[in-house]
Amino acid sequence: MTGRGVEVEDDPRGAGRGIRQSMSGLHTWAGLLLGWILYAMFLTGTVSYFKDELSQWMRPELPRLQQLPDQAVVAQRVADELGIIAPGASQWSLRLPDARNNSVYAFWLGATRGPGRRGFAEGHFDPATGHSVSSRDTLGGDFFYRFHFQFYYMPVLWGRLLAGVAAMFMLVAIVAGVITHKKIFVDFFTFRWGKGQRSWLDAHNALSVFGLPFHAMITYTGLVTLMALYMPWGERAAFKTPAERQQLAAELSAFLQPGKPSGQPVPLASVEAMVRQAQQRWGHDAIGRVNAVHPGDAAARVAVTRADASRVSMSPQSMEFDGTTGELLAVHDHVGAAAETRGVLYGLHLGRFSDTVMRWLYFLVSLMGTAMVGTGLVMWTVKRRQKLPDPHRPHIGFRLVERLNIATIAGLSVAMTGFLWANRLLPVALPARAGWEINAFFIVWAATLLHALLRPARSAWVEQLWGAAVLLGLLPILNALTTARPLWRSLADGDWVFAGVDLMCWALALLHAVLALRTARHGAGVRSSTQRSPTVALASGEGAR
Amino acid sequence: MNQALAFALCLVGFAALVLATRRQQRELVGRPLAPAATRLLRAAGGAALLIVLGLLVGRQGWGLGLVMFSGLTTLAASVVYCALIGYARFGAREPR
Repeated sequence: MTGRGVEVEDDPRGAGRGIRQSMSGLHTWAGLLLGWILYAMFLTGTVSYFKDELSQWMRPELPRLQQLPDQAVVAQRVADELGIIAPGASQWSLRLPDARNNSVYAFWLGATRGPGRRGFAEGHFDPATGHSVSSRDTLGGDFFYRFHFQFYYMPVLWGRLLAGVAAMFMLVAIVAGVITHKKIFVDFFTFRWGKGQRSWLDAHNALSVFGLPFHAMITYTGLVTLMALYMPWGERAAFKTPAERQQLAAELSAFLQPGKPSGQPVPLASVEAMVRQAQQRWGHDAIGRVNAVHPGDAAARVAVTRADASRVSMSPQSMEFDGTTGELLAVHDHVGAAAETRGVLYGLHLGRFSDTVMRWLYFLVSLMGTAMVGTGLVMWTVKRRQKLPDPHRPHIGFRLVERLNIATIAGLSVAMTGFLWANRLLPVALPARAGWEINAFFIVWAATLLHALLRPARSAWVEQLWGAAVLLGLLPILNALTTARPLWRSLADGDWVFAGVDLMCWALALLHAVLALRTARHGAGVRSSTQRSPTVALASGEGAR
Repeated sequence: MNQALAFALCLVGFAALVLATRRQQRELVGRPLAPAATRLLRAAGGAALLIVLGLLVGRQGWGLGLVMFSGLTTLAASVVYCALIGYARFGAREPR
């Protein structure tokens, strides 16, 4: 948060000098080294709180659900459809429509890669017909969600390990930051305007301290979501037999262990009747998923799981049925204390229990976390710029950080908006279309990096921030031109998903425009030798008066 | 509606806590307040936040209540903070 000198200058007694100094250095470097990855994780994670809404917006052909269909009927429809399009699938899982999802998402394990080669396939289904949705091919908001913890273009496992390492750095940075910041309560509401580095520090502190419970929670629980990957040793030592491992799996998720098929074909019993039983237990619209193993075989079993809404814990609650007779075999509605603890921590991270107000709180505080990382990254350059021997020719390390900051902070906004533009502009019939939307995201992002390397730093900031503002501002207009669901119609129909995304684009466009204006104004007319870093959050205000 | 009430109480609580800090007393009032007044403000601010916590936990249980409390307090503190910045920039123009 603060480097050498700053914290100590106004502490003549030198109290706590040693530990604070070392923590300050740790905070700076733990924050910087993976800071760009953390920024991208924070922003894509923030957006992921509205991933379902974003997915709806990215499938404009799929009509909005005026009212929630009966989940039992829909489950039967899609189960029948899967029997037709994926015969011989050894397992499938479908997520039923709910208040935030107007389609059924299913994945299945079957002979997807040619005879004898099994693999996972996935698809979205129309609740009204049970058939595949007749909508453009897109990953929707799930792209941001998956990128948030496993990135892209790299093996999933590597991505998740990288995300874990970044989260561990973040945790270190948070703890070190709290120790470094010695006047948390005294300076709780302090903001000193127009003081350059001081202002940056105050803004960074405010963003960090106000959201501290959230930032600490989200970083730690983020690690918990993938704890089995990061810390597998305890589990390996404790659970050695297959039976024990199976019991562990049942505590953590509602996915059934497949076991062996019998080889005798027996048609799957009524899925509708199974879901009905679950509805009686948990409520009419409270069903989350239906999972089946060996459907169509004598060894078939089906699990109907409860939706994530209305309870903080994500520990699985499910009812298990015999897939051939429809008989209820077991009800799993509580897990052990350790599994429940993990379920609550996991649930806190994903926030799937949230109603609208809570979801917005999650989103806004998460956005503050993004700004916290962003201001921290920029501060590294602000602080070092004045100490450069020759500000016109900074050393290579400084230049690298500065350019990466531009491409990460301003560039990511441009790239994420570019992804939404690609969703509206790519031809619907384009082969591998979903992949091309994602390629477009990375092409735009790479272009912003190139731009940041070629332009003077301040021009690069201003131009990219304006670029993001313009792209965001025009997106609702593009939507009106390319789909049958323009903003005025969404508002008239009370379609708050579409209207919300459009209006949010304008709000974010305004934010980027303000940042661009402040950055442009700051330092204009100031000779570049005394110019400090452009400002991205709360500008330090010289020239603004 | 209840959430709006909880949020308003959080704002009041943080506003009182702002007035209980010496730096802000000088900014807003022009002089430090008496120690007794400062203590009273601090207690009132803390009490307001505790009342919100009680309301939320009472209505939503510990799990959801704590999450909601955390979100509302973060947001309320941010709003108060931005109001202070706005006041310092635009409201405090008149010579005191």
